[in-house]
Amino acid sequence: MIKFAPYVFKGLWGHRARTMLTVSGTAVALFVFCFVSAVQEGLSRLTQDKQSQRTLIVFQENRFCPQSSKLPQDYTRRIAKQAGVADVIPIKVFTNNCRASLDAIVFQGMPAEKLRATRDVTLLSGQWATYEQQDDGALVGQAVAARRGVKVGDKFSIGDVTVLVAGIFQSSTPAEENLIYTHLDFLQRARGRDDVGTVTQLEVHLSEDADVEAVAAAIDQHYRGGPVATTTRTKGMFQADTLADLAELIGFIHWLGYACVGLVLALVATTTVMSVQDRIKEHGVLQTIGLRPRRIFQLVVVESTLLSTTGGVIGIGLGFTFLAFSGLSVAAEGVSIAFRPTPQLAVVGAVVSVCVGLLAGVAPGLQAAQTRIVNALRHVG
Amino acid sequence: MSLVEVINVTKQYANGEEKITPLSEVSLEIERGDFASLMGASGSGKSTLLNLIAGIDEVTLGYIFQTHNLIPVLTAYENVEMPLLLLKMSAAERRKRVEIAMEAVSLTDRASHYPRQMSGGQEQRVGIARAIVASPTLVVADEPTGNLDDETTEQILELLRRVNDELGITLLMVTHDVEASHVAKRWIRLERGKLVERAESAESRTESQKVA
Repeated sequence: MIKFAPYVFKGLWGHRARTMLTVSGTAVALFVFCFVSAVQEGLSRLTQDKQSQRTLIVFQENRFCPQSSKLPQDYTRRIAKQAGVADVIPIKVFTNNCRASLDAIVFQGMPAEKLRATRDVTLLSGQWATYEQQDDGALVGQAVAARRGVKVGDKFSIGDVTVLVAGIFQSSTPAEENLIYTHLDFLQRARGRDDVGTVTQLEVHLSEDADVEAVAAAIDQHYRGGPVATTTRTKGMFQADTLADLAELIGFIHWLGYACVGLVLALVATTTVMSVQDRIKEHGVLQTIGLRPRRIFQLVVVESTLLSTTGGVIGIGLGFTFLAFSGLSVAAEGVSIAFRPTPQLAVVGAVVSVCVGLLAGVAPGLQAAQTRIVNALRHVG
Repeated sequence: MSLVEVINVTKQYANGEEKITPLSEVSLEIERGDFASLMGASGSGKSTLLNLIAGIDEVTLGYIFQTHNLIPVLTAYENVEMPLLLLKMSAAERRKRVEIAMEAVSLTDRASHYPRQMSGGQEQRVGIARAIVASPTLVVADEPTGNLDDETTEQILELLRRVNDELGITLLMVTHDVEASHVAKRWIRLERGKLVERAESAESRTESQKVA
């Protein structure tokens, strides 16, 4: 079959405009498929990650936006003593937009030693020492830095919070790269006198043998009578609840991904049918010089697969490049979903492209293979 | 009338430099209702003959079209090479055969040209090279000069004569042009679907044909 490669390539090159348009259409469709799938992957990572199932978030009862949750910071010490709890991290959250936004900035203030111990972050630029010594120092996730054009040494302000960028980091958890970490006490003071001594949430790390639900229930039970009642959920559930509206929307747009696959199928099949109809006589000639119908079928299917795969690879490549450099994310109530596609998604996209190409070539291939030689040679086209 | 009639069938293929001839000028007839047994030692060509009768295998055949029918996206060289892609042979052997065929039709210098870059006569010569490149037993030509001017027609007919004389390839040419038919050694004339005349030499042909 490889011997016929020049014929297939030259056939496609011979109809450059049609080939380019089909490849472009396929690329756009696979770009959207990649984008939609990356959003879904981001949501799944937040809600189904194993670590998210073994970490609890304590939030003020009946509060949703981070600004409205104010827990006394001394809850930290009390909860840390509870059976099954390995560590507790007090976190102050500040965001410029509680509603769903593509450019929400989320600050998380926590003790520097806890940040270093519990977050898998690597500094791309800047120094840890500078951050630890600088009271208003901040470590900025590379996605935010890319989106806002921030670099080390810059002063960065959102509302009444101004920080000095001490480092840009990358994280093994893509959503983390949409955060700006600051010192806890700095963020408490920056939000005014009322916020000193309060935190937005407590992140509770459990010991290996702890019963997650029992610990969560015990915390809420203890603070039911005040001073501030709490709602404790796994981190995964907390993030799923916070992003519930967005999750519904994302659940709906996954149909858009399927629609893109259908679009590619229709587009490539149409182009291949047109190509076959243009070359009825040519296929008759090929059969006359010895090509069997099965070979003609294979040539048509290879052609459609080549179109679909080329477009698919370009679309996926563009999608990955765009998402990698844009740092796009969507956030609601301080929780963000990173649009970062995984290598698995690239493989799925490529497999989808190949399968769609094969499928799109079947009907035109059969049409070409079943054409009778005499009728084909008489065809005027 | 026989149900199966095999007349002077030869099957030949190339294995590298070597030409293999599993069948050579075999003729046989099998009547309706017959129960025939085909016997022979291993490698004697029994299965080859059976495959030809059953239509599984094909008699090596070349085809020359009236309208050339070259693949427009391929160069002259690639058009000629196309039938060889179906045969098991090395790239070097393929290249050698294409070059010989191109040389036979005097188009070596046009090998990289596309059909749109060639004249009608040159296209037809590429068509002839494509028909003979696999060394077929038989070449059939459907009005090979039908779309050509007088001068080019003469060149193509001369080429067909050389293909027959020098390469020993059997040619069956369909034509309505009496002048063109002069190049042939035998003439068969059909009228309304019936064979009305066979002639073995120009002299033996009817006066009406000669005048026409």
